[in-house]
Amino acid sequence: MSTSIAMRPVARRLLKPTRAQHIPPAFLLPSLLAPIQQKSSFSSTTFNLYPRDNNRERGVSTARRTGLRQPLSVSKTPLPKPVLDPSKRSRVEVDEDHGLWDFFHSKEKPMNTPEEDFEHGRPWCVEELRGKSWEDLHALWWICCKERNRIATEAFERKRLEAGYGDSESERRDITVRRTQRAIKQVLTERYYSWQDAEAIAKNDPEVDLSGEGPPYNPTDFVEKYVPEEEVSLESGVKPEQDIPLDPEVKPEQKYSPTL
Amino acid sequence: MATQRAIRPPIFGKKQVFLPNFVLTLLRTPSSPPNFATFLVPLSLNKLDLRDYLFHAYGIRVHGVRSYIQMKKITQDKPGSKRPKPRKWFRPKSIKKMMVEMERPFVWPEEPKEFDSWDKSTFDAANKDRTQHEEMFRPDFREKPTGERASMAEQAKALLQGKESWRSTPKENEWDINGEEVEVETDVELPKTGP
Repeated sequence: MSTSIAMRPVARRLLKPTRAQHIPPAFLLPSLLAPIQQKSSFSSTTFNLYPRDNNRERGVSTARRTGLRQPLSVSKTPLPKPVLDPSKRSRVEVDEDHGLWDFFHSKEKPMNTPEEDFEHGRPWCVEELRGKSWEDLHALWWICCKERNRIATEAFERKRLEAGYGDSESERRDITVRRTQRAIKQVLTERYYSWQDAEAIAKNDPEVDLSGEGPPYNPTDFVEKYVPEEEVSLESGVKPEQDIPLDPEVKPEQKYSPTL
Repeated sequence: MATQRAIRPPIFGKKQVFLPNFVLTLLRTPSSPPNFATFLVPLSLNKLDLRDYLFHAYGIRVHGVRSYIQMKKITQDKPGSKRPKPRKWFRPKSIKKMMVEMERPFVWPEEPKEFDSWDKSTFDAANKDRTQHEEMFRPDFREKPTGERASMAEQAKALLQGKESWRSTPKENEWDINGEEVEVETDVELPKTGP
């Protein structure tokens, strides 16, 4: 539609009969028309190439290792190079009291020899442990735990290095430790059962007060025998064996475990 | 402020465990930095447990724990079976490893140079003998090339290159006795028979 206005004077001239002899040939018709201005752009891309999207880091890519656009203050300092050879690295000073030393029997070598592993005694038996306090048993349990960790670490290392024999020795050592642990558990179980029985008896015992208020043990039927002092001094020379009063009742320890 | 943060005790759970019954295995990890330690732990242990255990039992302050479970490779028959049955598959139990980042670095003691105390030479020889013996019972033992194949190939190569010539019969006088008869095994005492 835009071309029709531009075409009008040309077409009128062409159609005039007086100047028919000056009519240019028909194939020149397109050149006589005014040049057509393209109104819409060919591409949808905008023309302003810079600064595009105002992104300062346009073109900076870690994937392509482009580096920064501007040098930094540290750009002159060369980067440290990693030491790939482990033998050239500086030695790390390990503290003498580091906790991980407890995973080894010695600080010199990573595992025991079979002879050293074999040098151990028998496990603690139940009879020996019955007289021990809970604190002792608990401490012994933790010693056993750490010893088992030690044995497992050294056995794994021996297998990894393919050092040789020593499996059966460390296995025997581990069994010894586990038997000790079993004895500890048996003692504790026995104690728990006897405490349960004692509690059941104490519930029906009028002398025992389980409420937790006041003294837990109130003996009722026991009256201390009154012996005058002069009789004691007289009779002591004559019949000492009779005078010794039998211990009426050995008073049980006042320690009692709290209710569960 | 920084020092205060450093001496602040770590926060732990409230539940008390009096008789823990599991085993930790410390692993040698030369590739990881010295302030890292890796443990083989039971599958039931979690990161908080390990942090608590290491602090209270070993006095190790731990900054962080990383944990992963590693599936074991599938094997033919159960481990330790002398004659593994074909088409009987077994997958060993997965293992759990935990890597802790410690406050202070730790380096393992050096590996021993020689293993005479562990009798490595006898151990290796016995192992080699045992594996050779076990291979005889494997189902694909017949299909595998024998040890003679290499020597046969060597002989054939020598023949083809003309280094040796083919003989269907033994050499002349090959089995003849040349010179004096020599008594072998003179140190063997034969039992006296007869009068």
